[in-house]
Amino acid sequence: MASTISFLLDGRTTTVEFGHSSIYSPTTTVLNYLRSLPEHKGVKEGCGQGDCGACTVVLAEAGPAGRLLYRSVDSCLVFLPMLHRKQLITVENLRHPNGDLHPVQRALVDLHGSQCGFCTPGIVMSLFALYKNHPRPDRTTIEDAFAGNLCRCTGYQPIIAAAQRACAEGNADQFNKGEEATLALLNSIPRDSLRLESAETMYYRPAALSEALALKANHPAGIVVTGGTDIALRVTKNHDVLPEVIDLSALDEMKLIAEDAFSISIGAGAPLNDVMPRIHDVFPSLHRMLSVFGSQQIRNMATFGGNLGTASPIGDALPVLVALGTTVELSSITGSRRVPMQHYFTGYRTTVRRPDEIVTAVILPKPASNLITRSYKISKRRELDISTVSGGFSLRLNERREVESIVLAFGGMADRVKRAETVENFLAGRKWNRETVDEASSLIERECNPISDARASAEMRRIAARNLLLKFWCETEGLEADVESVVQ
Amino acid sequence: MSNQSYSETNESADLHVTGEAVYVDDIPVGGQLLTGRVVISPYAHAKIVSFDLRDARRIPGVHAVLAHADIPGDNQMGPVVKDEPCLAADEVTFCGQAVFLIAAETEQQCREAERLIQVAYEPLDAILDIETAMSNDSLMGSHRRIERGDVEAAFAASDHIIEGELRTGAQEHWYLETQACLCVPGERDEITAYSSTQHPSETQALIAGVLGIRRNSVVVEVRRMGGGFGGKETQANHTACWTALLCRATRRPVKIRLFRDDDMIMTGKRHRFLTRYKAGFTGNGILEAVRIELNADGGAATDLSFAILERAMLHADNSYYIANFSVTGAIWKTNLPPNTAMRGFGGPQGTAAIETVVDRVARFLRKDPAEIRSRNFYGTISRNTTHYGQTVENNRLPEMYNQLIRSSDYRERRIAVDEFNATHEFYKKGLALTPVKFGISFTTSFLNQAGALVNIYTDGTILVNHGGTEMGQGLHSKIRHIAAREFGVSLKRVKVSATNTSKVPNTSATAASTGSDLNGMAVRNAAATLKSRIAETIAEVFSEENRSSPTFASHIVFEDESIIDGDHPERRIAFADAMPIMQHRQVSLSATGYYRTPDIGWDREKGRGKPFHYYAFGMAVSEVLLDLLTGRHKLLRTDILHDTGTSINPAIDIGQVEGGFIQGVGWCTTEEIKWDENGRLMTHSPDTYKIPTVGDIPQDFRVSLLRTDPNPGTIHGSKAVGEPPFMLSLSVWLAIKDAVSAVAGHELEPEFSLPATYEVILLSIEKLKAKTLKEASL
Repeated sequence: MASTISFLLDGRTTTVEFGHSSIYSPTTTVLNYLRSLPEHKGVKEGCGQGDCGACTVVLAEAGPAGRLLYRSVDSCLVFLPMLHRKQLITVENLRHPNGDLHPVQRALVDLHGSQCGFCTPGIVMSLFALYKNHPRPDRTTIEDAFAGNLCRCTGYQPIIAAAQRACAEGNADQFNKGEEATLALLNSIPRDSLRLESAETMYYRPAALSEALALKANHPAGIVVTGGTDIALRVTKNHDVLPEVIDLSALDEMKLIAEDAFSISIGAGAPLNDVMPRIHDVFPSLHRMLSVFGSQQIRNMATFGGNLGTASPIGDALPVLVALGTTVELSSITGSRRVPMQHYFTGYRTTVRRPDEIVTAVILPKPASNLITRSYKISKRRELDISTVSGGFSLRLNERREVESIVLAFGGMADRVKRAETVENFLAGRKWNRETVDEASSLIERECNPISDARASAEMRRIAARNLLLKFWCETEGLEADVESVVQ
Repeated sequence: MSNQSYSETNESADLHVTGEAVYVDDIPVGGQLLTGRVVISPYAHAKIVSFDLRDARRIPGVHAVLAHADIPGDNQMGPVVKDEPCLAADEVTFCGQAVFLIAAETEQQCREAERLIQVAYEPLDAILDIETAMSNDSLMGSHRRIERGDVEAAFAASDHIIEGELRTGAQEHWYLETQACLCVPGERDEITAYSSTQHPSETQALIAGVLGIRRNSVVVEVRRMGGGFGGKETQANHTACWTALLCRATRRPVKIRLFRDDDMIMTGKRHRFLTRYKAGFTGNGILEAVRIELNADGGAATDLSFAILERAMLHADNSYYIANFSVTGAIWKTNLPPNTAMRGFGGPQGTAAIETVVDRVARFLRKDPAEIRSRNFYGTISRNTTHYGQTVENNRLPEMYNQLIRSSDYRERRIAVDEFNATHEFYKKGLALTPVKFGISFTTSFLNQAGALVNIYTDGTILVNHGGTEMGQGLHSKIRHIAAREFGVSLKRVKVSATNTSKVPNTSATAASTGSDLNGMAVRNAAATLKSRIAETIAEVFSEENRSSPTFASHIVFEDESIIDGDHPERRIAFADAMPIMQHRQVSLSATGYYRTPDIGWDREKGRGKPFHYYAFGMAVSEVLLDLLTGRHKLLRTDILHDTGTSINPAIDIGQVEGGFIQGVGWCTTEEIKWDENGRLMTHSPDTYKIPTVGDIPQDFRVSLLRTDPNPGTIHGSKAVGEPPFMLSLSVWLAIKDAVSAVAGHELEPEFSLPATYEVILLSIEKLKAKTLKEASL
């Protein structure tokens, strides 16, 4: 059990101690840590809540096949202990040792990609992650790479151009050359469980699931963190002190994605960006939702465990998971149990999870070939926005095109993710046509009682929910499919 | 003209991309630094009955807790009207108003102290919207009016009349760098403020004011801002003054950097407007008479509202000649943060009003709106005076229209859009062309002045100081280019210093798009002084060497890094070699330059005159695809043609056009400010306030600068570019409206407001469908 953390920064192994004399707490964010160092003022705070990307840094870690994996993250949402056994790369590290700008920096300079320059360090790091991961990216990939970086000056056009130029020539840079040495340094840091104590916080980062379950049994009030993108806001925005934290981000067991003939089991600690390629073919509707979930930086940290643990009624991934018939695996030292996801939520941010339990996996049954599923997210802005209303729908029709089974799960329409059961019952057995759907959609309003808030009025939410059912019907009929992909 | 054919990169770009660029929060300070925090009002309107700061002051590490009575000088922040306290005294008039200040060794100590401050408030009635302000006669200043012709008579004679109301929303600046200031104490009462401000001289004046000291004891320095957009024209002063007060009270360096949510809650926005209009027009769509009544939400204090309203009134014509035109305006006082400058400065709100009118005229007549627009454009020979009497000179509108209609394939795409709409029930497309004519100059005429201080050192390097501030617009890059060109030297020789009130005093704000126009001229004038001194001295040197045919100072030219006798090109000396000679011959290598815009004048009372040095023109065509079921639109293509005269740096200018346009697209679409029934900002974080992301820009974005003659009477023939392109975003707003209107076959006028959020769109479509159904059933 170690009481310090170690990571690579500026080419060296850096160790941070906690405890009463340290200026750092285990819940100090990587952003605040970096900005406390005189030589790392390049990283900027634009919002402190993962919504602007000015603080983007890249974390590299040992990945499969003995290569480094590079991930962009919002450093304002990452607690220091999550750096353990990783390489932290900041904007100051990109220059070649001979002083030359990195190709991504060069392209941004030459193509006028900076104006006020305050978002630029974050843009540079998102572009660096793109450069390392996607040689010759298409426009969609580029847009996705920058979806988590706000720029108020340029209008993004020169940034896109810089990305196209920088990534056109492959990704060989000094980081490739140093890869083996970096891996050796990373592997020399022991894979310890961490027990980090500061004046106000006990922070556990177990290295094995059994240990995590024991910790949760002994500390049922302990705040569980997987990706931390939501919990970190309690520190950065509410300035809460988190007295006990159980950080599951070191548990490889919880990052497993296993597939058999009948289902795919996704570890609750798998970053969503790792999940996406694994579910793309089998669950395109889930993939579609994840592609507009937060941003690259968020998806590199965020997990299903976090989305289920938070249990927000506007959790983006939740309605489609319900529609897909997902089962939630809850584990404790006494064993595991599985709960159908629709029974998992009990109210506003409350669930059936017991205090000694941890969400360890979600299990998605592979759909029958005639199951049609779709997901929809209505938000004020396409990128990096939380759902105002979301829908996860699944439908099975018989040969007469009558509804054999249907699940209509909505987010943003009630205090929890809600199935529109009256509408489902109405539709069951009926002909799947415009008249039925119009009639059914008018029932949605009776079933849901949404609120008015900063995102939209209740009236707008009701119209949107109704429209989504019609949209689902349109898509099952292939109507106006020529433009569907453009607007999505 | 080689200078115009390429674009130098931003002078700080290498620093931006390496993280080496220094912003206020990055300035190294010793271990003495204290963190400042502002304690704000939770009420929109309340009496401060009592407060107790003793417990807060006892927290270890807390060095100062201040209230209004602790202000040694004037408790006053108002830049024009003295109606805004620095710290609330007896009453708070908006949520987010500063009441107390804390300085402590850590931010955590500040927060602990804040929790221990005890305040008793007695809530009072609050005015939270324009209508309530109107019914309570809560007017700020007086009603304003600019008129030409006989509007009532012309209405009576018009073929058709339309009337209506338009709401345009507030907009948060969302500069990436929040308000920030670092103050460092000096000897006696000296203080240096490193402020993220667009207006260092005013920041200096107000710091001196609240501290009760003289201005020659205050230095304000600005290296760069992480964005300004008008939000740091007056409202950077607040953070600077609070920091200065804490610095004075503790005698230690103090820094305040507002957290994002606090910044959004505390600072003013772009004014929301409620506009009422009436228009009379001919069967051909010619506007005969227009009446526009502009009502702005000023917030709780005046700030720059009068000038903003004025600019809105001066842009209510946009690009259109209106023979009989009445524009009235009023600022309404509400219990919201004082609204302030933001890119366009009222221009967008005035322009949105007349663009709504023209759009409606076209729909009424079932004519193409672009066609109706062009029919109403200002003429080049006749129909070319504005409602305030200024002649629209060098009018580029007709030629730009012809070029853009062609280059954007407007007519073909109009047909394609109509065909698409005829064959799609759930998606519609929309297309719109909008122009902009934007007046360049501060309408408060005396502000149109600037100063510069240019130093040449004996190694031949040049340091340019000027009064303008760099906020990302590329001003320093342009200034560096101007100085290099004036001296005929390479850019490497020239450095632009941080803006500093001890170098160039009594400056105007970097605002109104005038930064390079004014400061560029001042730098040029300083350079001219230096060049004439250098020319005289070097002519002497050359003449001493060539006694038979002396060199005339007036024939000396500066080019190719050299100083050359134009009559005898073999007589030349390298620029760097000449400077030690200047020192030896005891000639000063430092000169100031000063510039004021000539020939402008504006009679505010009569609403007549020439407020603008010239106009900048632009035009855009935007096409959107709208999903009628989700209210989501996709911006398919935008073509922009913009007039920047002879551009000093085309890449920087295109960057301003694209960036300004996209910022406008945010105002027109996703950026929605909402307050709750208690006057608290609901959209106080980027979680709910949505500025455009990379996915929101046009899929196909074509921007070009008009090939045109040099602009007469400006620095190197250029035109200002910061604000005008913002208004071109109205093409997106009206394209969305066009798509919504297609739901009812363009037969009905959609209910529409700005921003056109998904909610506005969906509700508008619902109403159109309901009306269509109702008519069908009749």
